[in-house]
Amino acid sequence: MALRSRLPLAAAVVLPLALAAGCSGGTGNAAIPLAPAAASPGGAIPAGPAPGPQALSETGSTLLHPLLRSWAAAYQQQHANVSFTLGATGSGKGIAEASAGRVDIGASDAFLSSGDLITNPAMLNIPLAVSAQQVNYNVPGLRRATHLRLNGKVLAEMYQGAITSWNDPRIAALNPGVRLPHTRVVPLHRAESSGDTFLFTSYLSTQDTAWDRVRGYGTTVAWPSVPGARAETGNSGMVAGCVATPGCVAYVGIAYLGQAADGGLGHAALRNALGAYEAPTANTITAAVNSLVSATPVNETISMVDGPAEKGYPIVNYEYAIVSARQRSAAKARTIKAFLHWVITEGNAPHYLDQVRFQPLPDPIVSLSDAQIAKIG
Amino acid sequence: MVTTPAQQPAPAGAAPGQRAAPAPPAPGGQPPAGPPGLPGTQATPAPHRRTPATVPARLRFLLITLVSAAAGFGVVGAWTVIQHASAARDVVSTSEPLSLTAQRMYQDLSDADVTVTTSFLIGPTVRPAARERYAADIARAAADLTRLESAATTSGNPRLVRSLAAMAAGLPVYTGYLSQAQTQFLLGYRLTAGSTMQVASERMHLTLLPAARASYAEENAALTAASARATGLPWIVVVLLLAIALGFVLYRAQRWLSGRTHRVFNLGLLAASVALAVSVLWLLIAFAVARTDLQRAVEHGSGSAETLAQATIDTQQARGYEVLNLISRSGNDTFVKDFQAIRAKLGPGPGTLLATAAAASTGAGARWATAAAHDVQDWYKVIDRAYALDDKAQYTDETALVIGPGAGGSTAGFARVEADLSRATNADHAVFHASAIAGRDAYAGLDVVIIAAAVLMAAGCAWGLSRRLAEYR
Repeated sequence: MALRSRLPLAAAVVLPLALAAGCSGGTGNAAIPLAPAAASPGGAIPAGPAPGPQALSETGSTLLHPLLRSWAAAYQQQHANVSFTLGATGSGKGIAEASAGRVDIGASDAFLSSGDLITNPAMLNIPLAVSAQQVNYNVPGLRRATHLRLNGKVLAEMYQGAITSWNDPRIAALNPGVRLPHTRVVPLHRAESSGDTFLFTSYLSTQDTAWDRVRGYGTTVAWPSVPGARAETGNSGMVAGCVATPGCVAYVGIAYLGQAADGGLGHAALRNALGAYEAPTANTITAAVNSLVSATPVNETISMVDGPAEKGYPIVNYEYAIVSARQRSAAKARTIKAFLHWVITEGNAPHYLDQVRFQPLPDPIVSLSDAQIAKIG
Repeated sequence: MVTTPAQQPAPAGAAPGQRAAPAPPAPGGQPPAGPPGLPGTQATPAPHRRTPATVPARLRFLLITLVSAAAGFGVVGAWTVIQHASAARDVVSTSEPLSLTAQRMYQDLSDADVTVTTSFLIGPTVRPAARERYAADIARAAADLTRLESAATTSGNPRLVRSLAAMAAGLPVYTGYLSQAQTQFLLGYRLTAGSTMQVASERMHLTLLPAARASYAEENAALTAASARATGLPWIVVVLLLAIALGFVLYRAQRWLSGRTHRVFNLGLLAASVALAVSVLWLLIAFAVARTDLQRAVEHGSGSAETLAQATIDTQQARGYEVLNLISRSGNDTFVKDFQAIRAKLGPGPGTLLATAAAASTGAGARWATAAAHDVQDWYKVIDRAYALDDKAQYTDETALVIGPGAGGSTAGFARVEADLSRATNADHAVFHASAIAGRDAYAGLDVVIIAAAVLMAAGCAWGLSRRLAEYR
């Protein structure tokens, strides 16, 4: 097994690092602040917003926007003095606006980069919920309950034009017993810089070294020129484009799963790092996140693509609130803290998350998020 | 021999240099003409003086005054020289090594981070040379931290203690995250490893490097303070004023004695005067040499080395940004902005680090700083090309340009600038060390000279005046 064969090499490389860490008077691994060791500071988070009229502004992720609207409406019912201004402008805009102090909360599918933090060390990325990305396809003749098995290598070949038909032997080999039509593969990708593109190409890069070497991963990539391939804007554009294009394959945020299914699109069971094929369900998404809880650092910056869960779905991520730890006033800080704490506790109830097929944060991550929320002042 | 109209034949047995024996006391105990007050004043009795001082009394007063003044000069002079020499020794043996240690720790941490992030980008099979370089950087930084912590316990500097404590707490966390990232990478969880690597690097940039920089600043301030103590003027001026006062008294005493005894020289006082002159001359020359050397050490050694150290760290950070940008691929331009900010600070150009370093350095240091200013522009062109490729999402070409082995790549460009800066820093350290040692050595033996001169002065005054006193018994 590849995993086992790599272990001696891992030990050989890690040992000197750990020894070097020991030279400084501590043991490296023992000092890593992992999730279970972190605790909520308790009492540092207010029970409710500041008194008097309070206004919170938010902009960012289009994927998170519908959920934020639900959260804002529910929170306003409980605390009528708080008003919200929400915007669906994209994760990049959310990070930029929050970093510049033009909005109180930026919503993002991605954590802050080192470049963001070096520029703005006071910024925090706080997970609010667990999301995932589905791979949709429009393959005529397939039963609705069928989830085609796909892996990163096959998807990479589809996106590079090496696999041009759905009945290609490489797809068929993954799906024994499934009758695949001779329909041309039409890969769809996002036209704009996108966190979804980052997640999808990250998955391709981890599973296919050729893709990684030639294309790599990023919020934008140099997509290969493939006959029929199209660029669409936004998740809804991807769904609409795929519905309208027999033979399409597309990557779409999990919140659009219902819309995609209504349009007759199927979604794939993807190969995870341990070789299992899993569809994006509550169980597989939760399993993927749980496998990385103990590795989550205190600032909750973690990529969970192609993680180590045996039964985990491979493309999962946190949806983040991007917030400054230094607010303009105590009232603003108190209101933001109270609202974010409400989001990761009451707001993580199925009543809210099921609408967009998000999953709740694991308890240790709630503690870590609370510890970060407590830093806002 | 100098003669005067008042000269009398010298009695048999008179010492060479003496003109004649003093006139014996007048019958009836009337004192000979002499100064009414201070030695050397004209011997006209004051009309209202109730009890004019006798010559022996005046001689005794003079003796006590001169011996006390000589002793005072010796004590104050020796104390001042010991303080200056101690501060100069402190510069060479304590402050300079600690400042260099803190500077090296700062640079090693920065180098460790850029080395390990670059290795990470190359792939899971980390090159042995890079692994060893990282391990050596961390081991050296940890050892330096221990050394600085040990010295800081007696420094009484709470800011330094706080910075070092932050480093002691943060370094294991940083290496722990790196170990975690390496393990995740080797197990195949590359994206998770990348994010953990990012967390480690953030820990370095946001916690460790600022603490290391603060530690270095404190150690450098201690070095500058020690150098200032070693070259401080106030107590030297006090010693010189004492010497001038003592010299004046010696001069007037000899004038008075000359007039009173008709001898040109009093050998004891003459010896005291010579001792005073020699010791003051020695003090002035030693102080001037020490001050020149120590100021040169600070201005052309420590000061420029500090600027070069900052330039080196900024160079490493610029390198780190282009590597982290490749790992992160966040799609935003914050790394580019961070790089542009570093570039503006680093130079070349008026007021930039490289221009300042080239101006502050001398000899080889200045040449290498100038070479760095030239090479860094070639490197910037490569980085600009890399960021342009990033904009076009041409990650393969960008990766090859950033970490590839070619002579026209960023790795080679970075190495050239780093080597230039390293040579310039070494040259400035050599200037600093040589100048500091020369400054320290300028004070060598001066305290003994001052004490010996003071003893000689006291003895000379006591002997010379005792002989005059003996003539009245």
